Amino acid sequence: MCRYCTEYGNGTKWYLNPDNYRPELFQAPGHNTAYDMLSGVYKNSFEVGATADSEDTLPDYNFGGAFNIALEKITQHQGQVLPLEDALRVIDMTPGDRFLLMHCACRRHFGHKDVFSCLFFDPVVDRALEQRPWETDSRVITREEAKEFEKEMDRLGLVHSLWDSGVDSDGKPPIVMCHCLETDCMPTRIRAHFGIVNAQRKGEYVSVVDRKKCAEGCTKMPLCLPRCPFGALRYSPLDMIASVNISRCFGCGLCRTVCPTGAVRLVDRTTYPALVDEW
Amino acid sequence: MEEHVTPRYRVAVDEDACGNAIDCLLCVKTCLDHGPNVLGYMNKEAPDLDKFIPRRLEDIDHKIISGFMINCDGCGECVAVCPKSALTLVVPEPQVHRALIPRDGSIVLCGTLADGTEIFPD
Repeated sequence: MCRYCTEYGNGTKWYLNPDNYRPELFQAPGHNTAYDMLSGVYKNSFEVGATADSEDTLPDYNFGGAFNIALEKITQHQGQVLPLEDALRVIDMTPGDRFLLMHCACRRHFGHKDVFSCLFFDPVVDRALEQRPWETDSRVITREEAKEFEKEMDRLGLVHSLWDSGVDSDGKPPIVMCHCLETDCMPTRIRAHFGIVNAQRKGEYVSVVDRKKCAEGCTKMPLCLPRCPFGALRYSPLDMIASVNISRCFGCGLCRTVCPTGAVRLVDRTTYPALVDEW
Repeated sequence: MEEHVTPRYRVAVDEDACGNAIDCLLCVKTCLDHGPNVLGYMNKEAPDLDKFIPRRLEDIDHKIISGFMINCDGCGECVAVCPKSALTLVVPEPQVHRALIPRDGSIVLCGTLADGTEIFPD
């Protein structure tokens, strides 16, 4: 497990630990910075501003380390990829019944499609509505609708990633589920282009392909390959099967859902010694 | 000995000439269509809700920003497309060596032969 689960997991994954969903945690002043930056009035300044002219401010190409520290200590803004099952568990664990569907700020501000893909949790709903009055078409939905929304995102091929507000000693409360892609989203781009781990961590799982089952499935047009947003799947024209590059896999589980023979499954990331420190 | 330095481009934006960027965004769209997608727009300042409550995104004053400039190939299409001539492509100094292959009397790059012949396909 990575340090998030070690420090905030209490024996399980950090986002499955009920301690991180305590209502008082959402009121604690230590987490306020992240609320403002993720859901509030500073969202745009932070999300897009973080990369604006960053290379001029930090002209050394190895500024990943400084960026990592900034993300963790100053902005208290980190995310992790998770598969659909865990996304639904998180929705179940979140206190309150309301969820707020809001525009994806990253996509819009780099000229991409304006889509609803950010799902804020109940403790920040009022604050987000109050602090972002220009988002007039945001929708408040119920827990059941939120689950349907997550399943729809999964069908579309958008990765679930969970964002929390800070690593203060009292806990790590998740506040929003985003659906980021490398093509158009800030955290995934920062991770992919600059290797900044704290921008978006890999999930707790990796995919495994059963070679025999895969050989019985789609031999000519592998359906799973275009589902992988991280370029972790490979296709061998000799064996006519797909395989996973585990060092690239983020464990989002999107490849599983389209496999006609059920050849893909998720296993715990720490199964492999190679991935023990790979997050 | 000659040196070749891969240029690191910057896009300088004259904010006064640009005005409220959200009314135009031609450069952002052009950059997205061209490929690198390094231009974006953001609020000049986070809205102060005590003074003014913006009811639409267009009510907020936006500016053009550039990020991920390591992906910029310096095509200059954003500069050409700007109706207000607010953008300038600059190559700031000092440049950091990204592809430096020093050899006496010639520059040898992957796409250039020792006699200077370019072998990039058109």
